[in-house]
Amino acid sequence: MRKLPLSLTINGETHELLAEPHHPLLEVLRTQLGLIGTKENCLEGECGVCTVLLDGMAVNSCLLLAAQCQGRRIVTIEGLGGPETLHPLQETFVEHGAVQCGYCIPGMILAAKAYLDQNPEPTEGEIREALSGNLCRCTGYQKILDAVLAAAGVLAPMR
Amino acid sequence: MAPELRVVGKPLPRVDAYGKVTGKTVYAADFTLPGMLFGKVLRGTEPHARIVRIDARRALTLPGVRAVISAADVADVRYGGALKDETVFAREKVRYVGQPVAAVAAATSEAAEAALAAIDVVYDPLPAVFDVEGALAPGAPLVHEAWETYSAIPILYREGNICNRARILAGDVERGLAEADRVFEHRFTTRMVHQGYTEPRAAVAAWDSAGQVTVWSNTQLPFEVQNTLAEILQLPPSRIRILVPGIGGGFGGKLRVGVEHFAALLARKTGRPVRVITTSEEELTAAYPRQGTIVELKTGVTRDGRLTGKQGRIFFDTGAFAGSGPGVASVATLILAGPYCIPNLHLEGYAVYTNKTNCGSFRAPSGPQANFAVESQMDIIADALGMDPLDLRLRNIVREGDEGPTGQLLTGVGLEECLRRAADAIGWNDRRPGPSRGKGIACGWWTTTGGSSGVYVKINPDGTVALNTGAAEIGTGALTGAAQVLAEQLSVELSDINLVSADTYSTPFDFGAQGSRTAFSVGNACRAAAADLRRQLFALASRQLGVEPDALELRERHVVAGGKRVSLADLSRLSQQSGGGLIAHGTFIAPPTPYDTKRVEAHVYPAFHSPSFHAHAVDLAVDPETGEVTLHRYVVAQDVGFALNPTYVEGQIEGGVAQGVGQALSEEIVYENGRVVNPNLTDYKMPTTLDLPRIESILVQHPSAVGPYGAKGVGEPPNIEPPAAVANAVAAAIGVRITSLPITAEKIVMALRKETP
Ligand code: FES
Ligand code: FES
Repeated sequence: MRKLPLSLTINGETHELLAEPHHPLLEVLRTQLGLIGTKENCLEGECGVCTVLLDGMAVNSCLLLAAQCQGRRIVTIEGLGGPETLHPLQETFVEHGAVQCGYCIPGMILAAKAYLDQNPEPTEGEIREALSGNLCRCTGYQKILDAVLAAAGVLAPMR
Repeated sequence: MAPELRVVGKPLPRVDAYGKVTGKTVYAADFTLPGMLFGKVLRGTEPHARIVRIDARRALTLPGVRAVISAADVADVRYGGALKDETVFAREKVRYVGQPVAAVAAATSEAAEAALAAIDVVYDPLPAVFDVEGALAPGAPLVHEAWETYSAIPILYREGNICNRARILAGDVERGLAEADRVFEHRFTTRMVHQGYTEPRAAVAAWDSAGQVTVWSNTQLPFEVQNTLAEILQLPPSRIRILVPGIGGGFGGKLRVGVEHFAALLARKTGRPVRVITTSEEELTAAYPRQGTIVELKTGVTRDGRLTGKQGRIFFDTGAFAGSGPGVASVATLILAGPYCIPNLHLEGYAVYTNKTNCGSFRAPSGPQANFAVESQMDIIADALGMDPLDLRLRNIVREGDEGPTGQLLTGVGLEECLRRAADAIGWNDRRPGPSRGKGIACGWWTTTGGSSGVYVKINPDGTVALNTGAAEIGTGALTGAAQVLAEQLSVELSDINLVSADTYSTPFDFGAQGSRTAFSVGNACRAAAADLRRQLFALASRQLGVEPDALELRERHVVAGGKRVSLADLSRLSQQSGGGLIAHGTFIAPPTPYDTKRVEAHVYPAFHSPSFHAHAVDLAVDPETGEVTLHRYVVAQDVGFALNPTYVEGQIEGGVAQGVGQALSEEIVYENGRVVNPNLTDYKMPTTLDLPRIESILVQHPSAVGPYGAKGVGEPPNIEPPAAVANAVAAAIGVRITSLPITAEKIVMALRKETP
């Protein structure tokens, strides 16, 4: 199959690359670009560990073709903050003990960010709805919800 | 007066948190090497069949395909835990749908997929057994006709499709039942469930020119995998190096060799690094899930609610290979006894072969299944006697100084407090607060698994501390707990501790992340290492400060005596100049727990070390139309001995309950005629954010005499009681008892219809 030349904007940087037309974004991120913060599991859109932001919306990168992302803004966990400049969600996830194995966490944080950007003052129930596509097997979600609520409290006044 | 604690017991952030929230932590599934090939496994499509032919010629001609291997390419060895019955690939016959038949390595995973599809396998089907009843029926086909020739630990009782029958025999059960005013007989069933870790099992293997293989794997037990690979590859263990990067959850599903052997064999064949990672379908059809069970209980009780005797049998459908079955069947008998004083017991655990996937260990193996039966029956008995279920339990529970079912002396028993506090918190005096709404309670006990741990602890010239352990961090935070113990003991901060973990080449031995033991055992090994370092530090400081070692103490990263002080950093540098640096080897092995050997037969796990006790209480509503269950509140009171880090202890409780609620209400690997019909995460339903209430944790602390600062094992217990607590609450809500897991909406509706025609 002929590879497609693509120009992808990831975490503010433009990458020119060649990808198979059927390759999902996840594959390109992890295998070609080494952005392994985006995780893989079911590859069928059922678990959410591969969540990234596409023009600010949370999407499963295992289902999205890389070719569909041409000209759109992609943000992965690597684009959210480094050890020096953590995003408030990253801070609150650490403070509230929301992280156990951590494999679901990049996707969880990005899904939460997408939601908080839309709804800065959510209720716990709304956060539960927003994160219902992201499986976590370790935490029972409680401390994740606490962390997202706390981050909302930090972020709201900054808007 | 004991010095005030600075680090242990504090809700500090875990040491690996920042790497995880920034996406920097490298997990086994993320690991790659230059020139790496992709391995995939061809899995059998028949539950039981003779393999007539495997033809890979076509597959080998496909672009990018580098190797195809099958049974003919590997040494003819059987491996396993208590019973060595497993082979890398099916030889001569397949015994379950999903059994590995061949493996391929190719340049891309698509090429490997294509190669799998191009391998022709011809099967000649054989009669199969799909459940315990079928496997135990007279004249049933044998899953392993040569079972007698397999090697096993000598104590197992084996016979045909039974790969172990463990027993507890105490008192005289006939007499116990005869003394009873009422005898209750019930049967319960549970289904196969998966650990559901979010990171698939993954391994990357590479051989070097000296003939040593290095495997990066997400195993919970690097040293066990090293030994298993040594058997499979026919090499001394020192030629096999297992390294564990980050692990995306294990829950017992990543104990045994999973894909490491395929990666190692394919890498040897191709001369290139090879990575193998499982798909969700492989996970749900061919991993190491929790066994489905049948439980039969016959329990005698006096009119005033005293348990006089119990006869019980639990049958584990362990699948086509023993896996953890023989041990799990043993542990189960201690759960069948329950945390109760019952003078007369006859309890049996059977592990039974069937033509299904090989079951293994899942967080508190046997706990939820056996506890579901025991605690459901306790409520049935209470109702029949017109007693409050809490009172019936309080009348029979074990207390300080009582004997366990096999005669062990019980100490640090916080069960009564757990029951009372859980009941208070849920508002037990109002058990049926509204129509179709009810509360349930269940209690239990569990072990803190033994096994040894070693650590090397080094004090760096900047005063920080390196903790080198063979244990792997599977997500629980256990190594943060151990690091807190070390920081406390050395008078440093948690942030001063650097962790090096799980490399069989260089880290000291550890029995592994299993059985709620890691923080307990590694923490104790840290205590031992700290004691040694303290001696070394004091010897150096005594010369430096001109003070007798007895007069010295550790405080805030310094050795101090009166007004004199010298920092750990200075002492480390001094030692580097004069004595090779400050390092200590700390070790720990839990002391044996004495029990009455005459009470057990074929028993792999006769007593619970530093047992923990717990009670769960739930308040839920059932929709009588749809059968849907909504959990309103969930309370756990767990005797943790001492909470080394309350945040992550709560985290274990919350996560354990979530998994348990899944098993209670929705999770089931559904087999039809030997085939899994729901091998995907849409049809295998794990709880999401919408399925769980807040979980209220009450940390009860009756210290263990052995654990660090009195801690007991924490990780597994919260997974035990949810099915029973939920079943009891459902019964309280709608007056109907569901005796099979999962308690689906469909079962509830059917049961309600039968009740009210
Ligand atoms: S890997 Fe994309 S949703 Fe599971
Ligand atoms: S922290 Fe392990 S899956 Fe969420």
